[in-house]
Amino acid sequence: MIAFFEAVAAFHVVEVLLALGLVVSALVCLFDRHLVRACYFFVVFAAAMTVAWWQLGAPWLATAELVLGLGLTGPCFFYALGHVLPGASSSLERDTFSEPRSRVAIRVLLALAWFVMVGAAIRTVIADMAYSPLEHPLLLAGVVIAASALGAFALHRHLLRRLLAFNLLGSGVFMLLAGVAGTSATAQALISVGLLVAWLGSMLGALLIRQLLHLEGVEALGRDGKPEEDVT
Amino acid sequence: MIWRFGLFDSTFEPLLPTHWALLVALGLPLLLGMLAALFPPKRAWPVLLASVPVLVSGLMLLSAYDQAGLLRWQWEIAGIQLSLRLNGLSVLMLLMTQVIGVAAALYTPGYLRLSETGPLARWLWPLMGVVLSALSLIWLATDLLTLYAALELMGLAAVGMLMLSGKAPALVAGMRYLLLALVGSLTYLLGVALILGHWGRLDLPGLTEVVEPGPVAWFAAALIGAGLALKAALFPLHAWLTPVHESAWTPVSALHAALVIKASLFILLQLWSILLPDAFYAPRVIAWLGMLAIVWGGLLAWRTDSLKTLVASSTVAQLGYLMVAFPLLLGPDIAPLPRALAWEGFWLQLMGHAFAKAAMFMAAGNLILATGESTLKGLAGTSRRLPLSLLVFGIASITLMGLPPSSGFTAKWLLLQAMVISQQWWAVAALLIGTLLTAAYIFRLFRYCFDETAPRHRYQPLAPGMELIALTLALTALALGLLAHFPLELMHGGSP
Repeated sequence: MIAFFEAVAAFHVVEVLLALGLVVSALVCLFDRHLVRACYFFVVFAAAMTVAWWQLGAPWLATAELVLGLGLTGPCFFYALGHVLPGASSSLERDTFSEPRSRVAIRVLLALAWFVMVGAAIRTVIADMAYSPLEHPLLLAGVVIAASALGAFALHRHLLRRLLAFNLLGSGVFMLLAGVAGTSATAQALISVGLLVAWLGSMLGALLIRQLLHLEGVEALGRDGKPEEDVT
Repeated sequence: MIWRFGLFDSTFEPLLPTHWALLVALGLPLLLGMLAALFPPKRAWPVLLASVPVLVSGLMLLSAYDQAGLLRWQWEIAGIQLSLRLNGLSVLMLLMTQVIGVAAALYTPGYLRLSETGPLARWLWPLMGVVLSALSLIWLATDLLTLYAALELMGLAAVGMLMLSGKAPALVAGMRYLLLALVGSLTYLLGVALILGHWGRLDLPGLTEVVEPGPVAWFAAALIGAGLALKAALFPLHAWLTPVHESAWTPVSALHAALVIKASLFILLQLWSILLPDAFYAPRVIAWLGMLAIVWGGLLAWRTDSLKTLVASSTVAQLGYLMVAFPLLLGPDIAPLPRALAWEGFWLQLMGHAFAKAAMFMAAGNLILATGESTLKGLAGTSRRLPLSLLVFGIASITLMGLPPSSGFTAKWLLLQAMVISQQWWAVAALLIGTLLTAAYIFRLFRYCFDETAPRHRYQPLAPGMELIALTLALTALALGLLAHFPLELMHGGSP
């Protein structure tokens, strides 16, 4: 216990605050029923990630996150919501949630099983991690974000929600990658490619959602796209 | 196993014309695609003219490999190492990609003219270019960073292509494919992170020297395997495949089923041969899943009423044959002879399926376009009016069923020989059951087509080249069996 507190005392204050900010904004973004607010919190999250990369000594990644995450991916979600100008109202303000409990339980269990596997994998290489999670709370935040994003991805059926969850899962995985492999040039290049892919994927997803909304209406987004009779 | 992928040092440096050929092979499809977005070709002949340099570059790389054996390229940009290699297998895959890509591109103008495709049609060209360029890069790349970038580029462009038809079911299926592919890529990335963290390098030739079996290699292999299996639609992660093809455009389906899913399989085999040399359980699991895939895919294709679902489900089953060969390629205690036979059979099956499936999708697309029906029952009476499309379908199914003299037959013969020598009787049984099921669903289709009592409908006439292109692809798949010595010679990996 004392060792734990000593370890906590060794944390950098800025990093602790940053990690807390990341986790809180990620959780709000994943689980807030108000979709526009969730998207605003995604932007907050991306800004916090930029500072976090700076803190971990990866200025190139901070730039990539600023441009790709904050500048390009964030607007994709607002475009998908049809909420381009501030003050404009959107037909998509909230999402509803009506899943049978058994299905929810199965999804959460699957997500947990997957995550335990990944956790075990990380644990086996923890001996030679570049940044120890005991010194860098940002890595712990990365684990928490990835776990909750995976849970949200499995839980939600709403397409925009799943797109958001994928983006946060990506950020958690990138954070883990930096923790395992350090911030060498190669790791930074890998993460930058990952950020680029996440942006392109989000853009494609936003275009799809927009078109689907145009064709089928709001209802189509919540059913994971299944035809209506399949859901009941 | 590893030397077959050409992951060792080369004797000769590539010559200047070879550099140019490489540049053209990798860059020109992308460039031409963008050009075609600005000036969409209305006829097939400009496409044919434009694709000549692409094919020439492939042939130049082939002759360069013939003369010098394995070739390597290496660059270092800001501390990041990127490397490519050209061995017999990558030349073969590159040529296959170029031929099928050109065939799909030639098919496209006629298809777009005849079907109501809407304003999004011009975007098909650049996306096709991206897919072909990224595929060419995947066959050549030997570091995990380039592989990752190329794989993602290909995957995203493929999603874009598949949803171009703009109908609600296509969008829904495309969205699900997009989300699954993105999560699959994160899984892959996590596996790569473990490799980078533990061994500190991403170049495959270097990794072959330092990787030793252990928990890190196992977990990395599991993560990478899960991500790639999702992208390659390996059973039981195949559910996204059929809905995606259901409402996609014909040339897109042909490219996707023939090439895009094969790329993930190629990467999977290459990385597992480094991470899991002589592993016992992992290839076994894949093989058992492959057996289930053969049966399940066959049953799905047999029971369906939709023509496109039939063709797409048959892909799931045909991928099963490739999965069944995994223990022969990666497992321990396999003698050199069956391993070499399985290696040849694996790639021949992959190529035969690629050509046959592209031809089959085009034939199915022609039938649907001409009759306006997409169900099997709607095909009644087509034998009198569309004999050429049915002929193409028939020739392609000879390859899929594995009847002589097709490449499917030669490939299955090689695989069977390897399985009998290494006494894997369950795999033999799976191969035979698969052949029977294939015959069952193919003949079910023909039974509808040869229904002579059906009333005559008005059929839309097809553009002149559309049948010929499909026929050429189907005949290529057939000829690969007769002329199998050419690809088999190339497949030996350029060993000294």
